[in-house]
Amino acid sequence: MTPHTASGIEIVHLSHAFAGRKVLDDISLSIEEGTSVALLGPNGAGKTTLMNILCALIKPDSGRVMLDGVDLARQPDAIRRRIGAVFQDPSLDTRLTAWENLEFNGLVYGLPRRERARRIDEVLDLVELGDWRDEIVKGFSGGMKRRLEIARALMHQPRILFLDEPTVGLDPQTRARIWSYLEHLRTHRNLTQLITTHYVEEVAGHDRICIIDRGKLLANGTPEELRARHGTSMIRCMPRDAETEAALRAAYPDIRSLAGGRLGVALASPDMLDAFLATYGTRLRQIQIDEPSLETVFLSLTGRELRDRAPGDDTAAGVGEQAI
Amino acid sequence: MNDLIPLARGLYGIWLREVMRAVRDRGQLIGGVSRPLIWLLILGIGLNPYFRGEVYGEVRFVIPYTYLQFLFPAVIVLNIMYTSILFAVSVIWDREFGFLRAILVSPVPRGLILLGKILGGSTIATAHGGLVLILARFADITLSWSQVGLALLLMFGLSFGLTSFGVILAARVRSFEGFGVFSNTIILPLYFCSSSIFPLDPSLTRAQTAALYPEWLVFLVEINPITYAVDALRGVLINFHQFDPRLGPAVIIGLAVAFFFIAWLDFRRR
Repeated sequence: MTPHTASGIEIVHLSHAFAGRKVLDDISLSIEEGTSVALLGPNGAGKTTLMNILCALIKPDSGRVMLDGVDLARQPDAIRRRIGAVFQDPSLDTRLTAWENLEFNGLVYGLPRRERARRIDEVLDLVELGDWRDEIVKGFSGGMKRRLEIARALMHQPRILFLDEPTVGLDPQTRARIWSYLEHLRTHRNLTQLITTHYVEEVAGHDRICIIDRGKLLANGTPEELRARHGTSMIRCMPRDAETEAALRAAYPDIRSLAGGRLGVALASPDMLDAFLATYGTRLRQIQIDEPSLETVFLSLTGRELRDRAPGDDTAAGVGEQAI
Repeated sequence: MNDLIPLARGLYGIWLREVMRAVRDRGQLIGGVSRPLIWLLILGIGLNPYFRGEVYGEVRFVIPYTYLQFLFPAVIVLNIMYTSILFAVSVIWDREFGFLRAILVSPVPRGLILLGKILGGSTIATAHGGLVLILARFADITLSWSQVGLALLLMFGLSFGLTSFGVILAARVRSFEGFGVFSNTIILPLYFCSSSIFPLDPSLTRAQTAALYPEWLVFLVEINPITYAVDALRGVLINFHQFDPRLGPAVIIGLAVAFFFIAWLDFRRR
């Protein structure tokens, strides 16, 4: 056995199936220590399953995972001390106070009393909840609960932090705050972060982006690399009538059907846009031209729009925004 | 040794959370206080004059205790049964609200997580049983400290077994809705069939007992493990046994071991 010296996250040929359906299909991924990786994909892409495997909650069917240089299958307990997790669904005890939730976590991770007291102060300061330490969590807003969960995940000073959709359903200010805490942790503590999200506008700030859909890893690179490699300009339009739609489908064989009866056409060259407008410009109800962006990268790789995949989350976020 | 201290802290943390939760839960506390009061004040006092061992005016046997004294240990068991079996709600809560995941990603081994929870639940149930002891004077029972100690020990054993049983139930129940049913389909039938509110006279032969009570009722009472738990507590508190005194503690220990084992098998599988 040669000792594995690399820290960070190393996933090799990972596959997993539920009831005969492949949820993760041969995923290989290597993440350097101290970097942050956004795992971008629609709901049902396999992100949460991957998280559960990385947190040693479920055993994968095949493949190998090394976290911070430790083999997950061999030493799950050593792994558990090195990782922190923030789940998509809240997992605080809302009947206890913020302090009690953190104290509980400190005890579960076996920290001595003095250490617990010191770290509770530290993590509460980090997420700016110091004034709320003795309040019952039930009365907290969604954003405060999420911040407290992040604080809790940091109590035992993990080397790697997993966050599953940490900003879902939160207002923009809270989202920005959460990203700034995570940024701080990355630069000051060299904390490796793996974050799943389906908000495409939130992934640009990460060191790497992995696009995952239907259990497969479709792309992996820095935001710039992905834009350069897979980014295309897109026309998104809504034809005026069925006749136009048929004509469009005939003219552009690789046209994509989007939500709400719209169609998406990838633009190979600027000339193509002129030709498109000349022919169909008057026969459309709606048209939008997108510059190459991470969103069009995602669209061209998966053939799907991200936002339309998660209407529930979008409305939840919308409600939060209105409330401000 | 250095590995054991962090594990002990984890176990303590899980236990402490259960206890804190129970202390803050007003509803549970009110139930734990009002239930024995109702049973002893209303049923106990109400039936006290009719408890003379007479059948149709003819004295067949004499039980040298008042009905209140006879009922008292059974009310302790009733309080323990409610608190322990309804502990399943806490387990379902953890599962449904995601808290269990937060514990499962921690380094505490699964067996210890389960043990911590069950010890927490047993502590609460024992405390609720102990609340009833405060009413002992009122039921005309005088207790020595050693009796109290021994009773608490038996109560804890019973609580441990029944809390494990609650956890087993929780693993088989998908939602909270099914839960109101438990009190009526499990707790009360077990309680009523445990010779808690009426005695099976030990001085009668089996044939005579069968003449007084229908065969099926005697059968239900005798196969019900709660019967022997009640009998053990009666032995300690009022020095009265209907069955072999060794049976009570044996059944309590047996329940605790068997139910914890099943709960552990369930928990490991998930």
